[in-house]
Amino acid sequence: MELAEGKLELRERQRLEGHMDRVWSLAWNPVTGVGGVPAMLASCSGDKTVRIWQQGPSGSFDCTAVLEDTHTRTVRSCAWSPSGKLLATASFDATTAIWEQIGSDFECVAMLEGHENEVKSVSWNASGSLIATCGRDKSVWIWEMQSDNEFECVSVLQGHTQDVKMVQWHPFIDVLVSVSYDNSIKVWAEDGGDDWHCAQSLGEASSGHSSTVWALSFNEHGDRMVTCSDDLTLKIWDTSENPSQASGDGYGPWRHVCTLSGYHDRTIFSVNWSSEGLIASGAGDDAIRLFAENKDNPLREVDGPSYSMVLKKKAAHVMDVNSVQWNPKDPRVLASASDDGLVKIWELTGLSQ
Amino acid sequence: MSEKFSATLRLTDLNDFIAPSQDCIVSLKKFKPKSEKPENQEKFNVFSKTTSPTEAVKISLKDCLACSGCITSAETVMLEKQSLDEFLSQLDSDKAVIVSLSPQSRASLAAYFDLSPAQVFRKLTAMFKSIGVKAVYDTSCSRDLTLVEVCNEFISRYRQRQLNSGKVRGQELPMISSACPGWICYAEKTLGSYILPYISSVKSPQQAIGAAIKHHLSQKIGVLPDKVYHVTVMPCYDKKLEAARDDFVFSTGGEGENDHDASGMKIAEVDSVLTSGEVLDLIHSKSIDFKALAEAPLDKMLTNVDEDGNLYGVSGGSGGYAETVFQHAAKTLFGKEIEGPLNFKTVRNSDFREVTLEVEGTEVLKFALCYGFRNLQNIVRKIKIGKCDYHFLEVMACPSGCLNGGGQIKPKTGQSAKDLIQRLEDVYMQDVSIANPLKNPIVKSLYDEWLEEPGSEKAKRYIHTEYHPMVKSIASELINW
Repeated sequence: MELAEGKLELRERQRLEGHMDRVWSLAWNPVTGVGGVPAMLASCSGDKTVRIWQQGPSGSFDCTAVLEDTHTRTVRSCAWSPSGKLLATASFDATTAIWEQIGSDFECVAMLEGHENEVKSVSWNASGSLIATCGRDKSVWIWEMQSDNEFECVSVLQGHTQDVKMVQWHPFIDVLVSVSYDNSIKVWAEDGGDDWHCAQSLGEASSGHSSTVWALSFNEHGDRMVTCSDDLTLKIWDTSENPSQASGDGYGPWRHVCTLSGYHDRTIFSVNWSSEGLIASGAGDDAIRLFAENKDNPLREVDGPSYSMVLKKKAAHVMDVNSVQWNPKDPRVLASASDDGLVKIWELTGLSQ
Repeated sequence: MSEKFSATLRLTDLNDFIAPSQDCIVSLKKFKPKSEKPENQEKFNVFSKTTSPTEAVKISLKDCLACSGCITSAETVMLEKQSLDEFLSQLDSDKAVIVSLSPQSRASLAAYFDLSPAQVFRKLTAMFKSIGVKAVYDTSCSRDLTLVEVCNEFISRYRQRQLNSGKVRGQELPMISSACPGWICYAEKTLGSYILPYISSVKSPQQAIGAAIKHHLSQKIGVLPDKVYHVTVMPCYDKKLEAARDDFVFSTGGEGENDHDASGMKIAEVDSVLTSGEVLDLIHSKSIDFKALAEAPLDKMLTNVDEDGNLYGVSGGSGGYAETVFQHAAKTLFGKEIEGPLNFKTVRNSDFREVTLEVEGTEVLKFALCYGFRNLQNIVRKIKIGKCDYHFLEVMACPSGCLNGGGQIKPKTGQSAKDLIQRLEDVYMQDVSIANPLKNPIVKSLYDEWLEEPGSEKAKRYIHTEYHPMVKSIASELINW
């Protein structure tokens, strides 16, 4: 990927209206948008609903389903299973619902109950056999899918001392990362017995964040991750061994690579790494920013990798940007969600092939 | 909230200094909320962790138990009535101080000092008496009493279900053990009314020995119950919350002993609970060379010790509920004598194990040990959706059960938690012989002199209890969006 300096542009392709309250989170269905299957996006909101948006022949997105009357409070997070058949939605009503697409309809086939109060985030592992959830009760839960859409809790992890904002599985191996209001990033793995344990905790002492960590995202290879924080920085982390190369439970510790500071002046709520290596951030100043690694930096060997901002889209929304998500099948397409109640589809232009 | 409570209780807490100010029924104005980012509704929940109270706010344990918010927010809550200092001050009062020691605490100290359970028991008896304690008893004795009641309750529920296909309130299966206060608190505060009928109505060993001492023993030895200060030593911080329950407080004066409204002095079955770790603190604070301490003879009135001074009791570090009830039910209901120890098979993990009895190809008894929050979660959800086919569940909030309670002495430097648990399991029955609770002579005399027979009106009055679903406060729902 070559960055054509100055020509890079983020064009608003479409605004998706329908939610009656702030939109918290987005998820692209991973098996759509390829091989003739129209792209599908889920969005969830303070209006207690989830909306499913599907791309039509004209290229524009339409709302094809509204998942309602199940959650009784804000739906904070949503995630598709790797097969794209199931959608998990996490709500402030303390439950996580599992929806199955049946024809063009979605049916709630399971409810994961157990969190004491607000569930903040949900994530599927690479194989789709495990789900992680986290929330205000400071715990991280791991659930295993049984037959017939039944789920068993395999672990309740209590390492965080505050609200856990987000959980995300590694793209290839069963390693889970959580980020929290306690400023820390925690890495969870199987303990060799029949439970899970905290394999690593990245706090301020490990060059970590000095305020709430809101989100994280892995790069395409799974050897780097980016975290975003209320301390106005993005941080890049690297695992010395490529975990995708490691066998089974093999896992290398993460270390701090660099901090991207001076770019944001309000809380960064969302961060997402595209398959082409571009990092998008969504922040409390209504802007979307894009970052890329400085691959041709002559001092790279000495200073280590560095990243810099390649684009800032001011006033992307009229309120906080809560979520930014690159389309996994079309890395020039970005979706964003905001407190203004809108979902927007953006197209990135000016990148040479 | 203190890290010392069981994980189950800690989970139900919301956020150290945050929860009380939202959900607490006691005004906590001194906790000053500081919103990090007011325009974000999610942040309404969260106050800066750097904000700390300048002055401790006092909440009583009862306030906490009556509230649907957190369990408690600060250790100061505990320190008021349940501390070593309070215990020591009672030694100078006009009350007769009685200590009841749990077998798990005995094992914890035995592992720490590299002694046997019986040695620890005799040395602790010597130590407590040297500072003015009148008697030291054994909760494995009252546990045998509760086991007899639990067996009786199970047989009754099982037979009732065969007659009425399980629709009679109070007769639901699976029957769930009730000895773990972390589990009871969680069931009442979070799960609510659907789960409570499944829980055995039999009190825990701690409360049973409290009832035996305050209602029966005090009369027998001619001391007024309000002149007895009764302390238990437990592997578990949650036991402090259990002791403070209203259900375990009675009023003196006349017939209505259990009538909470009666005016008269309020008397608790258990006045205070010390953990194994706090007893170790006491030993250290008095600079006692515990290993060198002379051993004193045991007080036999409520202690599982035979004529030769040997300890006896059920095996099973969490009280042996499933094992005892299984053997009793197999014999009583199906005429099968089953030798212990039972072969529990691991189901999902080492903290979820089951044992079954088949008669003529049909599974007639299916029991499980279910320890730790994750297993507890799964079983509770199965009950809720009507897919639980167990007849009895021995539920404990802590992974590995009571030997791993939050009040136990922490691993020594270089010792892993796993190693310590293994050591505790090894030492637990080291010089304790396995005995059938139904043949316990002390239990027999408690029935003869006091309770009449298992399941009698008197047994129900003194050895059984009730559970109360807690309704979530509307305020807590509103403020959280």
